Amino acid sequence: MLADVLLRLTIVVGLMLPVALVLFVGRERLWQLQHDWRDRVRTCAPALALLAVTLVFNRWMRDTNPDTRFSTYMTDTIRRIEGEFVLVFQEIETWWLTEYFSWIYVYGYAFLLIFPGVAYFLLSDTRTFRRLVTAYALNYVLGVVLYVLVIAYGPRNVFLTEVEVATMLYDHSPEYQYLTREVNRNTNVFPSLHTSLAATVGIFAYHTRATYRAWFPVAVVLAASVAISTMYLAIHWAIDVVAGLILAYACVALSDRLVGRWTLTELRDELRERLRTDRW
Amino acid sequence: MSDRNAVTAARKPDDGDERGPASGGISRRAALTATVGLTVSTSGCIRQLRSAVNRDDVDPLSLTITTVPADSDRESIRLARAIADALETAGIDVSIEMRASEEFLRSVLINHDFDVYVGRHPGSPDPAFLYEALHSLYADESGWQNPFGFTNLLVDDLLEAQREADGDERRDAVERTLEALAVEQPFVPICRPTEHRLVRNDRFDGWDDGHLAMRTGYLGLESRNGGADDRLRAVHTDPRPSENLNPLAAEYRDRGTITELLYDSLAVDVVDTDGDRSLEPWLADDWVFEDESTLVVDLRSELTFHDGEALTAADVEFTYEFVADTTRGGDPFPAPSPRFRGLAAAIDDVTARDDETLVFTVGTGQDVGERALTVPILPRHVWADRSASASVRGVSVAEGTTEALVTDNVPPIGSGPYQFHDRTEREHVTFERFDDHVTRRDGVELPEPTADELRVQIDPRSTSAIQLIENDDADVTSTPLETYVIDDIEDRDDTRVVESPSWSFYQLGFNARKAPFSNPRFRQVVARLIDKAWLVEDVFHGYAEPIAAPVPDAWTPEHLEYDGEDPELPFLGSNGEVNREAARDEFEAAGFRYDSEGTLRVRH
Repeated sequence: MLADVLLRLTIVVGLMLPVALVLFVGRERLWQLQHDWRDRVRTCAPALALLAVTLVFNRWMRDTNPDTRFSTYMTDTIRRIEGEFVLVFQEIETWWLTEYFSWIYVYGYAFLLIFPGVAYFLLSDTRTFRRLVTAYALNYVLGVVLYVLVIAYGPRNVFLTEVEVATMLYDHSPEYQYLTREVNRNTNVFPSLHTSLAATVGIFAYHTRATYRAWFPVAVVLAASVAISTMYLAIHWAIDVVAGLILAYACVALSDRLVGRWTLTELRDELRERLRTDRW
Repeated sequence: MSDRNAVTAARKPDDGDERGPASGGISRRAALTATVGLTVSTSGCIRQLRSAVNRDDVDPLSLTITTVPADSDRESIRLARAIADALETAGIDVSIEMRASEEFLRSVLINHDFDVYVGRHPGSPDPAFLYEALHSLYADESGWQNPFGFTNLLVDDLLEAQREADGDERRDAVERTLEALAVEQPFVPICRPTEHRLVRNDRFDGWDDGHLAMRTGYLGLESRNGGADDRLRAVHTDPRPSENLNPLAAEYRDRGTITELLYDSLAVDVVDTDGDRSLEPWLADDWVFEDESTLVVDLRSELTFHDGEALTAADVEFTYEFVADTTRGGDPFPAPSPRFRGLAAAIDDVTARDDETLVFTVGTGQDVGERALTVPILPRHVWADRSASASVRGVSVAEGTTEALVTDNVPPIGSGPYQFHDRTEREHVTFERFDDHVTRRDGVELPEPTADELRVQIDPRSTSAIQLIENDDADVTSTPLETYVIDDIEDRDDTRVVESPSWSFYQLGFNARKAPFSNPRFRQVVARLIDKAWLVEDVFHGYAEPIAAPVPDAWTPEHLEYDGEDPELPFLGSNGEVNREAARDEFEAAGFRYDSEGTLRVRH
């Protein structure tokens, strides 16, 4: 089942990517890549390695039963704070919207994260790409820390009778759970990483709107849809979405601080220097 | 008295040997006593003030219902919500805390860290389980033995009496016990759901021969395709068997269906789909009571564990001692197993007479003593080393936490019909047939493992479990389906719903270690706020039976049957709606008080 869903995901994103590249990036940049892709890969390697490490860490955290000594159970607190806000989306529930948001939650989201990675790699200045990758990594790291501290279940675990069974993602399309459980536990609710990663892409799209003008509105619509889908499908609370937006903002700001601060060659020279002085 | 003392003190400012720091000045005590002197006339008032402010306030009652999230058990959380609403109507502040299944069981059974909980009790086909569940001797132990901390010497006597009696005498003793529990309400039994499982009928036959919550449900199946593809594919909505296969770990087991297939016992409880039950010899060839309390058990010959080691009477002896104390006497602080403890407690002593004969000294009646033969037999050569205290680097472990209680026990070595092959956490656990199993011997008339592989696929939702069956990706849903999906199951030729009676039940458990849950009057009123019949319709879509006694129908006396309403503690309201006034009156009649805002205030 997982293989089926993954195959479909790969096909859909695989079809969307070239179309989007032609529409938003243009062929010129693709040509340019031929000449200096090796250099770009070399400069971007540390950021990519960081992302890889965080993904492995994230997976490890998912597979081990986390130590609950530092955790707080917050489901009831969240529900008391925001009340029945997410049920607003149940009132506008239609079959089409459910289809749309289920699609967005799985396929739209995957595309939204992957496309900017490709698009920014095509820019001759690799800094945006490195910042994007670093921001993704930060989202995962900070998100996982919060997941350990705050244990909460989403609205679908609380509003059982109020939420239409039809809009429950895993009842509407049970096959998606095979995919999401590869990434998440059901207590990974606060903050919404779907929202924070989507918003991260949105903020980057805003900063690069001069270069990729057409991408900016598309990214904003997709990112907003992802954030709404998490509430429409009763997976996240509004508080999780707000926390996701804050996390996104923080990660983008942090990525600006961190990227370009150290380069590997400088570090290597410094180390060599230090070793030499030690020997004296 | 104190007034007069104060006056005397005021008259003698230089009393005692304490001198003021500045000679000639007024000593501190003199100054103080002078003040006291001044206030002499008002001291009566102060005393009144002091006794007024030193009285602790009677606080509004706020309690937490601990339960599992809908992803684990939709019914539990819906019951918890309904009960929370009813309690709020009665002026109690309620919050609900959801914890994943193993976390939930750890807080309730091991750490006793809860106010009240809503969940499924594994129950038992025999009422003897009430002994370990409620006897005050077990109030301080961990596991399914008295998680409620319920202590009542009169109930203790009744619980002991039903354990010691046999036949009709025992039936009477059970009845008296149930009557007492119906009044005491150490927990509120809510309902017993009917179990529904979806099976494919084009690959295997014989789904009705054994209860699918027990090992015998998966044995003796007949392949319909002549043994061409003999994989039995089960889909399990509970991921825990893929994480832990320790038969003693209470947090990871509900009824332990999967571990029953890995570990054999001397005898097995066989319940058919009609609910009729019998105790059948399994590893034991036969047993006989030599006198009132001496039970002699003959093992079948040449038994082996999955790793090829022989299973002898020494392993059996070891198992019963180990369940009673997993430290094996190596620690002054005994650590009994959180499961099977009550069963094994019926046995005072086990001695191996020779390799294949055991002598049990039974401390109870013969009916209950025989039931002790259903404890899973553990290989001594694997478990003997697990009596040491569990060690986690850098973390101090609680006293009485032996390796045996916390090991995930993968790979498990038992002697059961299936042996461990492979697993991926939260995805699947796969077993192979154990070809040397006793049931496969010539001349042994027991249901045997027919499929050469049993793959338990984990799929956390009933809806997708059904999809797997319909797409021919699985043969049986080994966990019961949640009731909300049952009406939507398609009528098809190649699948069938198997309905079986249950002995596990939903309950509201009180932590009697805390006030006001320690007060039976409080518990009684809470029980009357629960409309069991309405919950059965609303939460279970009618696929359950409201109950007043926590035992199967065969043991429920007529006057404790739920007949339209609870025979002992009828609901205070109608159609699930609690009558606020009636609830308030009942709490007040029970000695509790309400403030002007209608909030229940209790000392706790």
